[in-house]
Amino acid sequence: MASPTEYTKNKECEVKALPMKDKERLIREGKAYWFFPDHVAEQIIICGLILMILITITTLFPAHLGEKADPFNTPGHIKPEWYFLAAYYSLRLAEHFEFLGAWAPKILGIVMQGVAIALLLMVPFLDRAGRERRPSRRPIAMGIGLAAVTVFIVFTLLGYYI
Amino acid sequence: MSSLRFGPVEIKNRLAVKAFKAIDDRFGVKEILDDEVFEKIAPSHLNFWSCFGGISFFLFISQVVTGMLLMIYYQPSVSQAHSSVAMIMNEVPFGWLIRGIHVWGSSLMLITIGVHMAKIYISGIYKAPRELNWVIGVCLFLMTLNLSFTGYLLPWTQLSYWATVVGTETPSAIPVVGEYIRFVLRGGEEIGQMTLTRFFAIHVIILPFVTAGLITLHLMQIRRQGISGPL
Repeated sequence: MASPTEYTKNKECEVKALPMKDKERLIREGKAYWFFPDHVAEQIIICGLILMILITITTLFPAHLGEKADPFNTPGHIKPEWYFLAAYYSLRLAEHFEFLGAWAPKILGIVMQGVAIALLLMVPFLDRAGRERRPSRRPIAMGIGLAAVTVFIVFTLLGYYI
Repeated sequence: MSSLRFGPVEIKNRLAVKAFKAIDDRFGVKEILDDEVFEKIAPSHLNFWSCFGGISFFLFISQVVTGMLLMIYYQPSVSQAHSSVAMIMNEVPFGWLIRGIHVWGSSLMLITIGVHMAKIYISGIYKAPRELNWVIGVCLFLMTLNLSFTGYLLPWTQLSYWATVVGTETPSAIPVVGEYIRFVLRGGEEIGQMTLTRFFAIHVIILPFVTAGLITLHLMQIRRQGISGPL
């Protein structure tokens, strides 16, 4: 066994180091199953399904190719792909803060996106609720998560319809 | 020894056993295969929602493969880009399918990454000792967004051109370095051949390599720390 560092004290980490007969016991008790062939077969089926979904979508809705770019002709409505609509709307939202000064719209737009990314990166360090993992015992984390997803969806819809 | 055992499969064919032994004597592959495949177990508490990280990985592989195939016909020049993509769609056998899988795959990949992140967040899997793997995961998400953004310009359509005008304008708001970032992204003041060339390089070489490296770190940490336990 590995040395008792903080890392190996975590029981979840020890599965790999288990001797064969303990692995077989875990499987008999129903707590685990063989990676090969059971898990591998599952993965192959899932990958096949995803590929089937992709082929079906692209057959029914072929990828679009718009007209060639013309730098001298600005189209009326420039909308980004759906996953950038929320970011796009945050830029449009920032335009309403022009009363703060000419600097405000551009700076606030990029600050909003920067802060969102920074918060997302720091989630594990901002969560002070200890090691509790059950969602029902982490109302604050669940509330913030739900709020973030709601804001993203609302911004995406507003970005689409604005 | 005249037989080989790979998990539940026993191989007795003497030629196959001999050939494998010859390789194993030189590279010690049996040890790795047993550790990583044939004597490995997976925990039973994995469910439907646990698959989405793996699905995102599969979609990345699919994007790499379809991207390589698209590169065979695509021409990254302002005058040729649009017509080469039109050729892929209309003339190249199964070109429409390969490009379709690439285009839809990018959207699907962002959805599966979103579901994967939500699952990790709700189950609290980002907690100790896996904090840094969350950070790497968010970096992978940002890499995917950047891949989408750079790939979007390549067909050189009206939408992709003007979306890139707006997209590269955004960072110019950053104080002091903003204007410089825009200049570097565009390769000049205006969007043109230089922009297309560097977006192409970023999309097909730089970002895929960085993403593959980060995926390796992501998976290595999962192997080292094990799958998180049931709730």
